[in-house]
Amino acid sequence: MTTLTGRKRLLALITAMFLLPAFSFAAPALHAAVREGVDYVTLAKPVAGMDRTVIEVFSYDCTFCYKHDQMVIPSLAKILARDGIRFVPWHLKTRGRYGSQASELFASLLTRDEKAGLGLFDDRASFKKAKFAYYRAYHDSRERWDRGPDSFLKTGLDAAGISGGEFQKLLREPATQARLKDWDGAYEIARIQGIPAFVVKGKYLLSMKNLRSLDDMAAKIRELMAK
Amino acid sequence: MKWIEKIAALQDRRILWILMAVIGFGLALTSFLVFQRWLYLRPCEQCVYIRFAMACLAVGGAVGAINPRVLVLKLAGYSAAVYGAAKGIGYSLALIRIGEAYRSGNLFGVQGCSAEPAFPFHLPLHSWFPTTFLPTEDCGVSYPIIPEGAVLSPMQKYFTDLYRDGWYLIPSRQFMTMEQCTLLCFSLILTALLICLISWTIVQAGNKLRP
Repeated sequence: MTTLTGRKRLLALITAMFLLPAFSFAAPALHAAVREGVDYVTLAKPVAGMDRTVIEVFSYDCTFCYKHDQMVIPSLAKILARDGIRFVPWHLKTRGRYGSQASELFASLLTRDEKAGLGLFDDRASFKKAKFAYYRAYHDSRERWDRGPDSFLKTGLDAAGISGGEFQKLLREPATQARLKDWDGAYEIARIQGIPAFVVKGKYLLSMKNLRSLDDMAAKIRELMAK
Repeated sequence: MKWIEKIAALQDRRILWILMAVIGFGLALTSFLVFQRWLYLRPCEQCVYIRFAMACLAVGGAVGAINPRVLVLKLAGYSAAVYGAAKGIGYSLALIRIGEAYRSGNLFGVQGCSAEPAFPFHLPLHSWFPTTFLPTEDCGVSYPIIPEGAVLSPMQKYFTDLYRDGWYLIPSRQFMTMEQCTLLCFSLILTALLICLISWTIVQAGNKLRP
């Protein structure tokens, strides 16, 4: 009787060993059963034309935006790129002492990078250079640019390697102005649960406090994208 | 039972209520004048909520102190103070979670802070008293940000240097962050309030049952 129980146990163990990997393949799909109000919030005013896109609302003065941009977003973008999902940054101009100046510069630099065919995560991209120069100055060096907006802009311009004149030219371009107009919508998104904020398909705002890991975040984005 | 009656009787005197108002007001004033103005530790969203909780304690104490023998005033005082202490515990815990995520680099499971606070009861405190209730720093940051050109006294210099890597009760040992200290304060206050409230309720019930 004891031997039989022992054999049954062994059989159960072997079966479990074979079944576990099978379940682990299904795990991302299983734990990513997104629920409205828990995992995401549907925006009252969706952003049009954002299919296969994740909007990231950020600010240069936001600690967690810096950490996400450093540790999460590059890996996440790589994972999602396989499914043809792209990231679009929206800077929040209402936050930070120089929020407006930062928005204008970031929007201009994105226009410049687009023309040069440089992606968001390309180390040569002027947007990436300026963004991380601000992050490092604000959060690591505790710079607050008390001498005024010109000193603030200098940090970004120097990092991006462009002159004030070139910046003004880029700022006047229709693509930059259109981007800045879009970014005005960042405030309505940011006021729901703060930043960083991630909006899938222009409709679904991810609930940050219920994200468990990078894989969980990717799975939820994929699932919302399929909705 | 004697100590229960003593605690219950003490509540009919102003002294306990005044003490609570002084503690609540003192904590809020210390956070503003000492930490924000003198040490340049700028407040975050959760920090201004914690100030709001401190203000609730002060209001509760002040209401009770008007005349603690009047039942309505006593209950209103208790309500404001218990609410403030409970909210203070909640805000402190939220800030502890954010601080841990900030320090550990594990960003999942926490929500960063907003620059635009949403106070309970839709109170626009940040519009009415922006110097006190408007957040000017992000959550997780507890080190001094000294404005350019600021002239520091020798004592200010000593303390701002001491808290350079963040505020701790004992900086050399990195023992107890600001939010852990506020959690301890609010927990002690809530415990004291509940002991007082329960004692008073027991004595009142005993008096009613007595023939």
